[in-house]
Amino acid sequence: MELLNNLALGLSVAVSLQNLLYALLGCMVGTLIGVLPGIGPVATIAMLLPITFHLPPTASLIMLAGIYYGAQYGGSTTSILVNLPGEASSVVTCLDGYQMARKGRAGAALSISAVGSFFAGTVGTIIIVIFAEPLTRMAQKFGPADYCALMALGLVAAVVLASGSVTKAIAMVFLGLLFGLIGTDVNTGAQRFTFDIPELSDGIDFAPIAMGLFGIAEIVVNLERHLERGGAIKVGSLWPTREEVRRSIPAILRGTTLGALLGVLPGGGPTLGAFSAYTLEKKLSKHPEEFGKGAVEGVAAPEAANNAAAQTSFIPMLTLGIPSNAVMALMVGAMIIQGIQPGPEVMTKKPDLFWGMIVSMWIGNAMLVIINLPMIGMWVKLLTVPYRYLAPAILLFCCIGAYSLQNSTFHVLQVAMFGVLGYIFVKLGCEGAPFLLGLVLGPQMEEYFRRAMLLSRGDAMVFLERPISLGLLITTALLLLLMALPSIKKARQEAFTEEEG
Amino acid sequence: MNRFLSKDFLSGLMFIAFGLIAIYFGQKLAQGTAVRMGPGYVPRMLSYILLGLGALICVVAAVSGGEPVEKLKWKPLTMVTIGIVCFALLFERAGLLPALVVLVFISSLGGEEFKLTEVIGNMIVLAILCTIVFKVGLGMNISVIQGVW
Repeated sequence: MELLNNLALGLSVAVSLQNLLYALLGCMVGTLIGVLPGIGPVATIAMLLPITFHLPPTASLIMLAGIYYGAQYGGSTTSILVNLPGEASSVVTCLDGYQMARKGRAGAALSISAVGSFFAGTVGTIIIVIFAEPLTRMAQKFGPADYCALMALGLVAAVVLASGSVTKAIAMVFLGLLFGLIGTDVNTGAQRFTFDIPELSDGIDFAPIAMGLFGIAEIVVNLERHLERGGAIKVGSLWPTREEVRRSIPAILRGTTLGALLGVLPGGGPTLGAFSAYTLEKKLSKHPEEFGKGAVEGVAAPEAANNAAAQTSFIPMLTLGIPSNAVMALMVGAMIIQGIQPGPEVMTKKPDLFWGMIVSMWIGNAMLVIINLPMIGMWVKLLTVPYRYLAPAILLFCCIGAYSLQNSTFHVLQVAMFGVLGYIFVKLGCEGAPFLLGLVLGPQMEEYFRRAMLLSRGDAMVFLERPISLGLLITTALLLLLMALPSIKKARQEAFTEEEG
Repeated sequence: MNRFLSKDFLSGLMFIAFGLIAIYFGQKLAQGTAVRMGPGYVPRMLSYILLGLGALICVVAAVSGGEPVEKLKWKPLTMVTIGIVCFALLFERAGLLPALVVLVFISSLGGEEFKLTEVIGNMIVLAILCTIVFKVGLGMNISVIQGVW
């Protein structure tokens, strides 16, 4: 019954005119950037973070969430119509979606992916509703040592599931943690790595860093590659045939389940979900030879999976305050900007925000089906805008956004600096996401670490004596060990090569 | 291909460099004890871990080789960076419009195609859009042209 009360509260918040408008705005922006290759949700949310300061907390979080799951819908349009992934999570949709489009079934592919995404989004939202309370209750029993261990597990798991070298990703986490320490030490008031720059004494703002690492660096890399676009294909009828429907329903169900599971894992999220769902479909199919040639399951399953994962990846952030990917790290940032400390307290202290956001996600998903299907023609037109128009526009929004954080040009210069650093990261094959997670968790993790050590009188054994902490640390160690095993290392490498190819 | 110019080896060097920088600039921070940690305790711990991981990455890369670094193209990076820096310098002194014109112009030079009419068109559209969104819509305290509006 309490659940229904909560949902009713959420519904009353979510259907207020203001929140509906911001949900719609978020979904529109999300679809827009999803459709446009070369700009992703991470860069966009980073760009808009400063602006959310001017909005009420609930509206700003609803809008940012809308951008994130809206991008999952929009990304599939580009994949299907022009064989370019609009988003990383729709890379696999290119394989069969574009082939379906070439056979004149573009409309069917689009509507199956939109309906599949909607179904998956709905299931994802229900899962959040069911698990939010028990997880939050559990988290309230956590002491400082447990939190520290939980963050360690989150960071390590994020690293393990990211592509590329594990050692490098771990080093990136530590680098992020180190950058997170810049500013005034909370316990002693000492200035750390501030170089006498007054803007740094409040701590380093991660919005300019995220803009630099994900926005600017991405623009530079795209300008280098001279992003080419093929001509868009005609959409055709949106109605799938009976055969297509029959084949896609089980695929959507499987994709949703797999995506929802993988989304909860730190470092999981939409990309991993979509990719695993595609592999699973190919293995289960009676006609594996059709995959890559326009199999409808190859569109339905990954599209359902990336949406389910996008929804469930909110679970660790909302209940524990632990972000599981770069977008969630930014959502944590958005909460902090609004003066809300993410963690189990959000649900008890701000129930209207918590439940309002969850219900609005479902409403947003329903809006997205309408935004994406009947209005498909508008998005297709947008695809013809060349990148050389977009790049300066994105740069400009980043600069103005960074300035408006504290009305200081220092933040704009910071964007430039982290743009260069981000470019170096890309060239050296170091991923930005673990860095950002470390950066966001750094200050909290240090706080918990110091508190735990103070409580235990300097005995590091405290982390092994508390059962919760011990369990979490054992899991962390196991994950790291698993990665070192040669057979798993190889399988992991193969999985990611296939993803890239 | 020189094995010391692989992505892995160079990124190892980068981590070592960051570790050393943090140790150097964190020297003055009191370390404290494990019970009452000073402000320097955690930074120093992290720096040592970074040094260790960097060294490990370097050694592994030097022994087994790795993917070579892609050739750098300087033009997009330089143009984009100069563009942002110019924007930062102009924004408060001259206002949004001049900063915008300079940023769009310089960053467009970074792309492969540059058509002046297109760039000017882009500037006009963006100027109108930004004024409406940021100045009028969000009511931000910025001037479009310093001293005029």
